[in-house]
Amino acid sequence: MSHAESPGWLGLLGCAVWGRVSVSLMLAVLMLPTGPAEAASEQTGLRLYAADGTDFGSAPSLDTGVAIGIVGVIARVQVQQRFRNPGKDWVEGVYVFPLPQNAAVDRLRMRYGGRLIEGEIQERQQARQTYERARDAGQGAGLVEQQRANVFTTAVANIPPGETVSIEIEYQQDLAWQDGGFSLRLPLVVAPRYIPGAPIPGAAQGFPQHGWARDTDQVPDASKITPPVSSSADGDLNPVTIGVDLNAGLDLAEVVSTSHRIDVVRLSHGRYRVEPAGGKVPADRDFVLHWRPVLAQQPGAALFTEVWEGRHYGLLMVMPPHARVLPRPVGRELILVVDTSGSMHGDSIRQARAALLSALQQLGPEDRFNVIQFNNEVHALFDVARPADQAHLRQAIPYVQGLQADGGTEMLPAMRLALRDPHPSGLLRQVVFLTDGAVGNEQALFGAVAQDIGASRLFTVGIGSAPNALFMTRAAQAGRGTFTYIDNGAQVQDRIDRLFRQLSTPVLTDLQLRWRRGDGDAVVSQTPSRVADLYAGEPLIVALAADSAPTQVQIAGRFGAMDWQQSAALSGGAAAGGIHALWARRMIDDCLARPSGGEDGEPLRQAVLKLALEHRLVSRYTSLVAVERTPSRPTDAELKSGAMPVRLPAGWSAGAVFGRLPGTATPASLFLVLGLASLALAGVLRRRWR
Amino acid sequence: MSTAWRHRLALLALVGGIGLLLHGAYIPVKAWLAQQLLDRAWERRLAGEVAAAPWPGADMRPLARLLQPRLGVTQVVLDGASGRVLAFGPGHVTGSALPGVNGNIVISGHRDTHFRWLRDLHDGDLLLLESDDGATRRYTVAATAVHHETEIDLLDPLADEQLRLLTCYPFDGLYPGTPLRYVVTARPLAM
Repeated sequence: MSHAESPGWLGLLGCAVWGRVSVSLMLAVLMLPTGPAEAASEQTGLRLYAADGTDFGSAPSLDTGVAIGIVGVIARVQVQQRFRNPGKDWVEGVYVFPLPQNAAVDRLRMRYGGRLIEGEIQERQQARQTYERARDAGQGAGLVEQQRANVFTTAVANIPPGETVSIEIEYQQDLAWQDGGFSLRLPLVVAPRYIPGAPIPGAAQGFPQHGWARDTDQVPDASKITPPVSSSADGDLNPVTIGVDLNAGLDLAEVVSTSHRIDVVRLSHGRYRVEPAGGKVPADRDFVLHWRPVLAQQPGAALFTEVWEGRHYGLLMVMPPHARVLPRPVGRELILVVDTSGSMHGDSIRQARAALLSALQQLGPEDRFNVIQFNNEVHALFDVARPADQAHLRQAIPYVQGLQADGGTEMLPAMRLALRDPHPSGLLRQVVFLTDGAVGNEQALFGAVAQDIGASRLFTVGIGSAPNALFMTRAAQAGRGTFTYIDNGAQVQDRIDRLFRQLSTPVLTDLQLRWRRGDGDAVVSQTPSRVADLYAGEPLIVALAADSAPTQVQIAGRFGAMDWQQSAALSGGAAAGGIHALWARRMIDDCLARPSGGEDGEPLRQAVLKLALEHRLVSRYTSLVAVERTPSRPTDAELKSGAMPVRLPAGWSAGAVFGRLPGTATPASLFLVLGLASLALAGVLRRRWR
Repeated sequence: MSTAWRHRLALLALVGGIGLLLHGAYIPVKAWLAQQLLDRAWERRLAGEVAAAPWPGADMRPLARLLQPRLGVTQVVLDGASGRVLAFGPGHVTGSALPGVNGNIVISGHRDTHFRWLRDLHDGDLLLLESDDGATRRYTVAATAVHHETEIDLLDPLADEQLRLLTCYPFDGLYPGTPLRYVVTARPLAM
């Protein structure tokens, strides 16, 4: 070794950093064809357990018919699930299915062997016992349980060989008014959800046949909300017929669906018949229907009333004043959070990228922003929100364009990071969360939002063909913001524009309602008990119950910087059925949204139980059960049980959601070979030099 | 090429080469060391410690222990089969049946560290799986086959009761990104 070269070799130790750089550079070049080792061996948290229909030899086949009757703002929906047993054994079928997150399920009927059996409401545990006793005794039995506000389970026992048993479920729902029209969203499939957390020790799959996920500490009922997913695109798997009897009362300017091609027939003044074109549709996406009255002016207020078992019930909708006069806020801090988990793969991530790019375009130089993405891990574009100037936008645009969907959905850390505001800038801080909400730990997320929201506001944007509407609505509610859905690519720009109009600021804040009867105050049980802020295009919706009907309501709040007040007479409301069920359903939501709502506090449970039993509603603590009196199954015949497989939502990629077989090779030997090769190269170069 | 440049290049290759060798050697050492610590954690878990962590700050849990008497293999199986977990031991594939349950139990491990021994398994070899309730189930190797990574139906928890061991294939492959998997299927023996 000559003296001349010694500085170089001496520097070697000090150049450890250089060494690392050279290693990674070489790897980057040499491993390009195979991709980084870690990425190759990482697997996603959700997996598909191929359940191509035939694997479920004992499961009956299923088809669903949905009849929707709409009168004004209320929908009464009947869902008929027909379980057909094509085999020679007696079977039990278990089906996990979605309903709208505000559905008040109040009726179950079972058609068994030509007889129609009315279901009754019972406490959850008791209903399950009733069902299991009947099942074991060989009687026909049906059970409807609620797993989430928007996820339900039907179980049907003792379906005779070669026969069909029908389960008819009915629910009541009030419809959303948004931007000059109504919309109805009927979910048809429970999307596979990411289940975070560690498996509960000793908790084997409770129903080994029902659900692909194990119960975990964060999702203790995971096995009940994860129906097996069919990997085959079998056309016979749970076809759905949908018929809508739309009695709007007014002639409509348009009736459109963003999810399906539909046939619309005008029956009479203000009355329409709507069906998906071509009849049966696969249960793989939400059915979405929008309609808009001819008259451009929106209604000021609407009231629907019912007298039920001696009590007065009402549903009141009031439109906020037009928001055009409101000034745009002087700068805002916009935190865009995007779900890049495997379930977002395909169409969904493309929609999300388009939405984010539109959002970035709407930022002005006085705004600040950041972009956060999450799957198994959370990654933020900037450490703190940066001004939306050209330099920062130039960094953000390629970042957004390069977003790829893969991996799990660890949403909680992302939510926490997005809501955390260590250096308040004094600007209006808005968090926009783009996701399909395919997670099982909703309750923990709502808790985090309520706890960490501070002065920020949270807006959820539902992406994909079957977003989790419960997550979208409740998270936005807890975050004092609004929710939006993006159903297909063409809508992205339009929806983001709308969202930004709302983002400017709530139209009405600090809302207070005062109920009057004659000259005095009326005693009214109102839900929601505290009215949330209203954004542009949103109505105020309140359900009420009272022993004697109030005659007037005074609504007071802040409209921008001004005080605002309006009163509405409550006489002459339109009579409608099932208002009591809507009120009770909202009361239950109210109870469960209280801080102790996450835990099963006994007083809370009692309150919900009382409401649910009184109004015969399915809830977290009550189920509907129907039992045939006489046993049908011979005592020597065995009963087989099967979970009904469901479809993967449209646009989802099985490979991206459920992953592949785990990768199990380390790059150790590659490193060793490359290392030796590098040393040999060093030797050769040095010899030549000398 | 000027001598100065050649000199720098030689330096770079030397430093890089040493770095790569160290990194390559570190992977099997880490894999071996982790198993020693995990084995102790497993004993503590059997003794009733629910959250037995193998070392401070470990974010993985032992879930079962896998034994193969003929080859003298005793390995602690971890919960989950992500790349992070597999660096320390074979991992139970989330969603397949749990050890101790009747169903299709799938365990995967690295072909060049923990599960290198799979290539020495023959039909009829005995496999023992100890679950955290202390019970041991016995299996006998019924088949070995090579599959593609997209054949996720191998993980179906509703499939017949069996134990599947899974690793990358070919065993002596150089590149980690192989799409092939070597799968050992073992059927339960009567207790």
